[in-house]
Amino acid sequence: MSQPGTGEVHLRRSVGTATATATSAGLAFAAIDYLGVVSIMAYAPGASGWLAIGIGAGLVFLVAGVFSELNGLYPTAAGIRLYLGRALGTRIALTATFTYMTTVVLVIAADAFLIGAAVRYVLHEPAALAYVWIVVLLAVATAANLRGVVLAGWVQTVVTYVVLSSTAIVSVIAIFHVGGSFRTPLHLFGAKPLSGIQAIAFALFLFAAFEWVTTTAEEARGPKVITRALFLAPLLIWACSTLFLLGLSHLVPFASLHHSAYPQLLLGKAALGTVGELWMLAITVLTALNTFNGGFLVASRFIYAAAREGNLPSTMARLNLNAVPWVAVLVLAGSSAILAALIFATGQWLLLVAVGATLEAGIYALASASLVILRRKEQRDRPFRLARGRGLAIAGTVIFSVFALATGLADPANSSRFSPEPLLVIVVLASLSALYVNVGLPRVQARAAGRRAAAAAARPSRRPARPTTVESDPTVEPMEP
Amino acid sequence: MATWDELSEALEDYTASCNTNDRLRKMQRDWTRTLHFICSDTDVAFTMVVEAGEITGTPAGHHGVPDIVVTTDSETFCDMFWGDLNPVAKYLRGEIAVRGSQEDVMRLDAISYVIWPDS
Repeated sequence: MSQPGTGEVHLRRSVGTATATATSAGLAFAAIDYLGVVSIMAYAPGASGWLAIGIGAGLVFLVAGVFSELNGLYPTAAGIRLYLGRALGTRIALTATFTYMTTVVLVIAADAFLIGAAVRYVLHEPAALAYVWIVVLLAVATAANLRGVVLAGWVQTVVTYVVLSSTAIVSVIAIFHVGGSFRTPLHLFGAKPLSGIQAIAFALFLFAAFEWVTTTAEEARGPKVITRALFLAPLLIWACSTLFLLGLSHLVPFASLHHSAYPQLLLGKAALGTVGELWMLAITVLTALNTFNGGFLVASRFIYAAAREGNLPSTMARLNLNAVPWVAVLVLAGSSAILAALIFATGQWLLLVAVGATLEAGIYALASASLVILRRKEQRDRPFRLARGRGLAIAGTVIFSVFALATGLADPANSSRFSPEPLLVIVVLASLSALYVNVGLPRVQARAAGRRAAAAAARPSRRPARPTTVESDPTVEPMEP
Repeated sequence: MATWDELSEALEDYTASCNTNDRLRKMQRDWTRTLHFICSDTDVAFTMVVEAGEITGTPAGHHGVPDIVVTTDSETFCDMFWGDLNPVAKYLRGEIAVRGSQEDVMRLDAISYVIWPDS
């Protein structure tokens, strides 16, 4: 048999900068971001929230730099598991990753709730019907996932750019609309310095999940594609969110925004009447395409891989005839439906924003800490190296830890007081993850090892035994130095 | 370090196991892909052509434009094609490098999972 050689290859389908940027921005910009902007306004008086978003975007550039270097070291869909594991150890990595993945359930549930509430509001239906819409949305998303329907890359790209540009256009119309006013646009730290910090911490939430684009590293056209996307997507979100905030603060009284689950509809109506309201409703529904497609896909595949690796019960890896991990999808859909019902019953959607913001700041702190450690452990070349990386990563670890506390102790429903609720929710989630990793997982692994041993006994290695002395194969070329 | 003959034998067995598994064929009915494999230790390269879930060829060398490129050492490939190891565990430890979409990476692992559920 002839000896095959190797050559440089290019993938038939690969992701370029525009698609990767849209993926990153699409993962980050969900319907809950509109509420994120309102949360910023709760802490930043008048129109000064634009400063909070600007400072937040600056800090997100640091996160982009950290993730770019880490992604350059481990360009794989399992990246975050790998670099947290190499830097902090397997148990901490697993605990952090399981906790982090709950943000996916959180975002899916929040989007289902927010879209349900928005549709009900526009159709003037009774409040109770919102949950019917939530269940319908989740059922459609689940059915599509179970059938193996995956949004094509170009559809995802178009949807993202339509959502961002529509939000920006309606916001600009609102900004130039007569009758409004900008109050205290530079007053971010004027009222209370701590409120300003909390506003910046909530601004970070607007960018949450933009770093998930690193999971597409293996299909990127080149190593720089992901880096470019990590820096470009925050720019798009920054521009869109800033315009949205300025539009809101110019035209819609904060009192009517603060307890509303659909500020974007109020902005649309204030700017363009019923047309604007319907336009923003359509945009809200469109965000679900990205959230449900990306969220279900990322999380269910993560669960599948964890189960296949032996870190979750093997049931979670079961595949249906469409090669979809159906148990994982159903668990995600069920958890999201329960969480959405809780939000619906309690009206605590702003708590969700605070929990999401805390989780995200926490993961940024962990990623920065990982970079500090891996700078010491991994000397090999990477396609991107953050300038003054060690110092910046140490600063990032401290800053994002402070921001995690700032949102973890915030009460966006009443910005004048503190509340431990967001932090408590995360402590409970992290404790459950840690309990599972330290107590449940050894049992799961023992069961899996037992199964493998039984299977090995029933079916010994199929590979033929190799003769004790193997002559070197002259057809095999020596390894490249 | 596995020789090309050892790899060929493993590939032959893997192809037969895949093509005779009805559940796998049904699951992969919409999966038509060209896979390129590279042995990092021996520089050996080979291609796997999958048409509607059926492996139609595993020629030596790289042929066509790939949808997926898998790189690892020759021993790991041999064990993987004989069903003696769990590919996803190696992948998550960074010992198997893959270029391709996440969905295709999962499909590739699903093949091993369906043929050898206890690997």
